Amino acid sequence: MNDIDRRKLLKLLGWSSASLAVAGCGNPPESGTGTAEAYSEPGDFNVPGVGVYYASTCTLCEAGCGIKGRVREGRILKLEGSPECAISKGRLCGLGQASVQHHYNPDRLKEPLLRVNGNLQPVTWDKALSLIAEKTKDAGDKFAFLTGPLSGHLKVLVQNYVEVLGSKNHFVYDLLANKANQLAAEKVYGISNPQVQIAKAKLILSFGADFLNCWESPVHFSAEYAQFRKANEGKARGVLIQAEPKMTLTGANADRWIAIKAGSEGVFALGLVNALLEDAHHAKNVPASVAEAVRKYDKARVDRETGVSEEVFGRVLAQLRERSPSLVLSGPSAEGHIHGAQNAAAIMLLNVVLGNVGKTITAPAKIPFPQMAPAAGDTSALIAFNQALSQGRLQTVFFHGANPVFTAPGFMKVRENLKKAAFKVAFAHYRDETAEEADLVLPLDSALEDWGTHVAAYQPDGVQIHMQQPLMERLYPQGTRSLGDVLLTLLKQRRPDEYNPFPDYYAYLKSAAIKNKAAFKDAAADDEEFWYQTLSHGVLNVAKPEPQRIALNPGALDLDLPKPAEEDLHYPLRLVPSVRANFRDGRHANLPWLQETPDPLTTIVWGSWLEIHPKTAGRWGIAEGDIVEVISKSGTIKAQAYLFPGLEPNTVAIPIGNGHEAMGRYAKDVGVNPLKILDPVFEKSTGELALHATRVKLRRTEDNRTVVKDEGWRPGVVNTQMNRKIVATLAADKIKLFPEE
Amino acid sequence: MSITRMFRDWDKYRKASPSGDLEKDHPDYKWAMAIDLDICTGCNACVVACYAENNVPTVGKDRFEHGQTMHWLRIERYWNEADAETPHRGAQFMPMMCQQCAAAPCETVCPVGATNQTPDGLNSQVYNRCIGSRYCSANCPYKVRYFNWYDYPEQEVAWPEPLPMQLNPDLTVRSKGIMEKCTFCIQRLRAAQSTARTEGRLVRDGEVLPACAQSCPSGAIVFGNLADPYSQVAKLWRQQQVELHKDKQDKDKTGDNGGVRGYRILEELRAYPSVLYLERVRDTKA
Ligand code: SF4
Ligand code: SF4
Ligand code: SF4
Repeated sequence: MNDIDRRKLLKLLGWSSASLAVAGCGNPPESGTGTAEAYSEPGDFNVPGVGVYYASTCTLCEAGCGIKGRVREGRILKLEGSPECAISKGRLCGLGQASVQHHYNPDRLKEPLLRVNGNLQPVTWDKALSLIAEKTKDAGDKFAFLTGPLSGHLKVLVQNYVEVLGSKNHFVYDLLANKANQLAAEKVYGISNPQVQIAKAKLILSFGADFLNCWESPVHFSAEYAQFRKANEGKARGVLIQAEPKMTLTGANADRWIAIKAGSEGVFALGLVNALLEDAHHAKNVPASVAEAVRKYDKARVDRETGVSEEVFGRVLAQLRERSPSLVLSGPSAEGHIHGAQNAAAIMLLNVVLGNVGKTITAPAKIPFPQMAPAAGDTSALIAFNQALSQGRLQTVFFHGANPVFTAPGFMKVRENLKKAAFKVAFAHYRDETAEEADLVLPLDSALEDWGTHVAAYQPDGVQIHMQQPLMERLYPQGTRSLGDVLLTLLKQRRPDEYNPFPDYYAYLKSAAIKNKAAFKDAAADDEEFWYQTLSHGVLNVAKPEPQRIALNPGALDLDLPKPAEEDLHYPLRLVPSVRANFRDGRHANLPWLQETPDPLTTIVWGSWLEIHPKTAGRWGIAEGDIVEVISKSGTIKAQAYLFPGLEPNTVAIPIGNGHEAMGRYAKDVGVNPLKILDPVFEKSTGELALHATRVKLRRTEDNRTVVKDEGWRPGVVNTQMNRKIVATLAADKIKLFPEE
Repeated sequence: MSITRMFRDWDKYRKASPSGDLEKDHPDYKWAMAIDLDICTGCNACVVACYAENNVPTVGKDRFEHGQTMHWLRIERYWNEADAETPHRGAQFMPMMCQQCAAAPCETVCPVGATNQTPDGLNSQVYNRCIGSRYCSANCPYKVRYFNWYDYPEQEVAWPEPLPMQLNPDLTVRSKGIMEKCTFCIQRLRAAQSTARTEGRLVRDGEVLPACAQSCPSGAIVFGNLADPYSQVAKLWRQQQVELHKDKQDKDKTGDNGGVRGYRILEELRAYPSVLYLERVRDTKA
């Protein structure tokens, strides 16, 4: 094989990279049917009455937890975390647990559908694929593929396919992406994705980072948090301070929760920087120009703009001085504003001043395979995609793992703009809102039926590649297919020479893994043995991941935060579209366990609600259960009021996720979608949607209904323990410490 | 045995439970928990895990509104009254499931003996003996018993096809008229106990976990055999100075327990629950 061919093959398989020495070729790809390591061919492992566990990877969020699925009599029954995965370490979140309900969901798509005379009607896969071949023939830049976040070999195939079509339009869209955070980290630390060492911190000051619930890697961070909290004779209990306009689950666990004014987080942070720079040991961590730049964030300004009292400011400052190393985090509520990245950078600067960098802020290893590395996505991708649509630049569009018709703000008019593309293909599991607009809907295997490789964006330890393998046979073998298989088929239509050697996605993955065996720790010499181990462990550990380097340059930061925006007398309240770990961006709203599992803070089930501070509710004459019109400049929705104390009083919140018009019986017509009334406000340095910048007013209707929730039934009565010892609380300085185990 | 004879020999049958002699009451196993409320984040992962493991039906919004929810495990959330306007110290969460009381108030009122103590210290619920009187539920101080007002397998909301394929074959799906509740995942315990018996040994610490404890991302729930003095759970109970058979712990008698956080909920009711909680902590300097 000559060098060009070799490089080409590496690219097909996703391994192209400068730094990697790949073993020469000579392993002909083969379809590995007949092996027993995977559930697709269970062989001796299928013992009647005995559950056997198979390794795979959770795909419900981008954290990429390793899982073990319990299989009995050919059925996948339950998922647990995989102890071999550095992320989940044997644990699993509620969302991950509910993955089986995606697999067995009664509303899954079971056959391809084609729009005929305006209606979606069954069609064969053959017909569907030849239609695609026809419509993409001279596609070029008139073709676009909009996906959710992707990594691993599926990303490789998607990008190879887009390239083969002669298009540059792979849009990776994630409503909940933290682009502003990445940009700020890049500026402050020189890397966009630092590790945060929660367990090592003695104090965490978090500005809205909901790391226990739906931030980058919830299961991993929860385990770290347990370490952080544990106290013994050798280790003090870590203290958590959370500042945010709407209490998140992490905020609910804080020692001190601060109701800060929306958007003023940066001012608070720079106020702290200003005060800390009075200490010589802090001042030496930054150039004098920083001290100069933050001088204007004095106590008076902090007091005026953040709504946080001087007393509380003083307490936070004292804690930061006392507890080192600490860890300061920036989250979505600080970033979802016009000056979001600047807010985040101001917050991260605290870590530099406090000397936390290198201790609780560390650099992860580099992911050595750029093609496989996660594409985290952002909202700018949606904006660009939508613009191309509205200008009529796109003719054929594919969708996978993204439901823009549901998640895009109303002002973007995505549904209307989609009409300008002549041929829209949705690779989907359900008839969701986007599939309902498509011309061709292609049903995919569930995550528990499919193959795949995943590279998590947040890598706590080295670099792990996670294997996804089927945990049971397809439920609809005639109907659903793996997207990997479909893409290979489509690539073969174009590049038979290159892709014909791979009979299917499985064979492709197997060839790819074996081809690059040398890159992984403890790889068996025998290829079959290596592949068997890979699947039974579910993880591949990159042998010598290269470290990244932190490079601080605090002097270059723009520390000139804008004045607080003028109050808008007509729209006096700020709207927080809050994220529920159960639903994320709404793609999991059709899982009945997750609808019926109460929201932890309000205990509400099966629906949406408007969180409003009791004081504010009083002012607007609103009582619990009142149906309220929530009006922004961009639209109006109706939601049921729930009086909630965990709010800065000028803020109201409605959770994202419900309000579906389609997507099956458990999601359709349940609750409302706050994304539809977001204002067109954009973060200025990234162009991202500023999700926390919408202003609203309220109008009470005459309608009032019982709020369906788990807590006590008397509306408006604060749910307390009635002086019984149910949840007892002890002051930290009173706990008895035991020797370290 | 005649009733007359039973009453005559009542002393022989009547067992003070728990007697204070753990070894005598439970020579091999006494299953118990310890939940650290300073580590529990209220995330509800355990709740979903319980649905997944135990064939617990979802009931839908209308029935939930009528209090007919079936979740065996719930996370209670309270606010501190003093901070009602702004919860400066966050919320208060507590996982609440059947406390597997050693002297269970639910057992004594069941007219047909459908709920009893097992030799390994569980409060069992014998489904095919239950007649649905619901006395047990009325008498449970923790309100953790759930009644099947409907035949959920027949109800569209719980398990439309093909969702029933997910059902755990190791336990039943309960039908209308039956009371149910947390069992400490008895099907897992029985499987582990049976394996251990076959191998001529006792279940090792950590060998078996209920679904909630296994799933919990922060590891707040510790589960094990209290009769095994070396188990993690037994160590925690000892360290926290909580004894199964007491309705007031020695450490609590003086009013200053020295900052030992262990307690049981509504202990004074003398149900002798098998779940130990560790107090939530807040740093008031912050
Ligand atoms: S954190 Fe994300 S990846 Fe991990 S179990 Fe939960 S949903 Fe799955
Ligand atoms: S908690 Fe309630 S149901 Fe459980 S044993 Fe005690 S009294 Fe019975
Ligand atoms: S899973 Fe663990 S942390 Fe989450 S609510 Fe349950 S006990 Fe608490």
